[in-house]
Amino acid sequence: MPTIIDIQNLTKRYNGLTALDDLSLSVDEGAVVGFIGPNGAGKTTTMRVLTTLLQPTSGSAWVAGHEVTREPQAVRRAIGYMPDFFGVYEDMKVWEYLDFFAACYDTPAAARPGMIDDLLALVDLGHKKETFVEELSRGMKQRLCLARTLTHDPQVLILDEPASGLDPRARIEMRELLRELKHMGKTIFFSSHILSEVADICTSIAILEAGQLVAYGDMEEMKRKLRAHRLVQVRVLGSLAPLQEFLLRRPDVHSIAAAPEADLPRDAVRFDFSGDDDALSALLAALISQGIPVLSFSEETGDLEDVFLQATRGIVR
Amino acid sequence: MSVLHNPVTTKELRSRMRGRRAFVVLTIYLLLMSGFVSLVYLVYAAAANNPFGPDPRLAGKTIFGTVVGIQVLLVIYIGPAFTAGAITGEKERQTYNLLRTTLLPARALVTGKLVSSLGYVFLLVLASLPIQSIAFLLGGVSLIEMVVAELLILVSAVAFALIGLFYSSIMRSTLAASISTFATALFLTVGLPSAALIILPLIGGVFFNPVIASPVAEVVLTYIGLMLASTNLPATIVISEILLLQEDALFYTMQTIGGYTVTIFSPWTLYLVLYTLLAVILYVLAVSRVRRIPDR
Repeated sequence: MPTIIDIQNLTKRYNGLTALDDLSLSVDEGAVVGFIGPNGAGKTTTMRVLTTLLQPTSGSAWVAGHEVTREPQAVRRAIGYMPDFFGVYEDMKVWEYLDFFAACYDTPAAARPGMIDDLLALVDLGHKKETFVEELSRGMKQRLCLARTLTHDPQVLILDEPASGLDPRARIEMRELLRELKHMGKTIFFSSHILSEVADICTSIAILEAGQLVAYGDMEEMKRKLRAHRLVQVRVLGSLAPLQEFLLRRPDVHSIAAAPEADLPRDAVRFDFSGDDDALSALLAALISQGIPVLSFSEETGDLEDVFLQATRGIVR
Repeated sequence: MSVLHNPVTTKELRSRMRGRRAFVVLTIYLLLMSGFVSLVYLVYAAAANNPFGPDPRLAGKTIFGTVVGIQVLLVIYIGPAFTAGAITGEKERQTYNLLRTTLLPARALVTGKLVSSLGYVFLLVLASLPIQSIAFLLGGVSLIEMVVAELLILVSAVAFALIGLFYSSIMRSTLAASISTFATALFLTVGLPSAALIILPLIGGVFFNPVIASPVAEVVLTYIGLMLASTNLPATIVISEILLLQEDALFYTMQTIGGYTVTIFSPWTLYLVLYTLLAVILYVLAVSRVRRIPDR
C-alpha cells in the first residue's frame, strides 16, 4: 500500500513548551489509524499541522504526496477535517450547510443536490434536510460535520476526537459511520480517548505521549509487542495443587495466582507465560500428559487500555 | 471565484435577509430618517422669517444635507460594525478553521464578507434615496452635488468597512475588533481634524508672524489645510460644497493667495484617491492575514 500520510521529524514548540518532539510517522492508504494519547500529548497539534492550520517549528509532513506548508491547497483537496471543537452555522438549514461547504470545495452547483442527498443518507440525516442546524442534537451535528468533510470526496479523513461529548447511542452511530467509511476505502486518521472504540475499528494505532511517538503499529501486533508476558487461565477438576506444583517447575511460567488472593473461580489458576504460540501449545500437551484434569485452558486477551497504560507508563510525570 | 458565485456572499446574504430582522431594521431606519427630515423641515420652516413660507431652495438644501449627514454616520459607524465581526465571528463560532481547510481562497473569504456587509449598508443608503430626492422637488440641489456626495459615501463605505474587516482578520474577538475599528473611525473623523484645529493655528501663528510671514508659507499652509480636510469625510463634503456653490468649482479653482495665483483643488478628488488607496491596502493586508498559516 502506498504511503498517504508521511510525517518526518516534526517538531512544534510554543513559548518554550515542546508540543511535538521529532515525530515521525507514516500511514498507508486505506488504513484506519487510531491516534491515542493523554491530554496535551500533541495529537491536536499534529492534526493541525497535517490540515495546514499550523506551521511546524521544524520537520515536514506530506499528505497525498503534497507538503503541507508548501502546497496547502493540494493538501486541502486531499483531506476532510473534523476538529475536536467545531461550530456550525445555526441559522442555516442542513442542506444549505452542506451546499455552502461543497461550494467552498469548488463542487459544481449542478452536482451538489444529488451529492447532498447521498451524504445525508450516509449519515442518516436525510429526514432532517430542511431542518435548521440549531435544531439538531449534538450527535446529529457531529454526523453533519462528518458529512461536511466528505463533500469533496477526500482521500484522507482527519478526525480529532470524533466521538467526544456524545452519548453512548450517538457514539455507536459514529463508530458505525467510521466503519462504513473504512469500507468505502477512505484513509482515516483519528484521535480518541475512548480506547475500546479505537480497538473496534482501527487497523493500526499510534500512541503519542509528551509529543513523542511511543508506539505505532498494526493493532494485533502492537498488543503482542507491548505485552511481554501472556496471561493464561487454566481450570481443572479437583485440587489445584498438582497443577500449581507443575507450573512452579516451568521457567516460562511466572506470577501464578489463584483464589482467594486473585479474583478467580475456586478451580482456576492464572499465570504469566513468556513463550510463543508453539510453547503455549506444548504447555497444554504437557499438562494433559501429566494427568492433570484440565477443564479449560485459555489466553486472556488484553484490551487496549492495557496496551496504552503499558506503552505510556513512566513517560509523563 | 467570481463575486456573484462567492459562497460566502451567498451564505451571508441568505442569513442576513432571512427572517424579519433585516426588514424591521430597514423599516425603523427609514421611519427615523423620515421623521428626522420632517422635523428638520418643520424647524426650518418655523424659523424662516418669511410670510410666504420658507425659501424652497434653502429647504431643499437643508433636507439634502440632513440625509447626507445620516448616510455619513451610517457608513462611518454602522457599516464597520458589520465587518468588524465578520471574521472574528467565524473564529468565535469555531467555524474559521473549517473554512480555512476548504479550497476557498483567502481572497474569496475576505471579498465575500465585504460584499455581504456592504450589500446591506448599500441597501440602507439606496432605500434612503427617495427621501433624499425630496430635495429635488424643492430645488436648490443640483444633480452633480448629489453624485459627488454619493460617490464620497460609496468610497467611504468600502474603506471604513475594510477598516473593520482588517481588524477582524488580525484579532481574535469581535469586541476587540469593534473597539479598534471605532477608535480608528473616530480618529479619522474627529481626532485628526481636532488635532489639525489645534496644530494649524500654532503653525499659522509662526508663519503669519509679521516678522517672518511669507506668501509662500501662506500657500503651503493652505495646501496643508486642504490635504488635511481631504482625509475627513464631513470636512471634504462641506468644503467641496462651498467651492462648488461659491466658486462654481467642481474639480478646482484658481485663487490669488499672497500675490500668487494658485490652483485650489476641491478636496473630494483627493479624498477619493486617499480612501481608495487605503481600501486597497487594507484589503491586501486582510487577505494576506487570512492566507497565512499561523505558527501558533
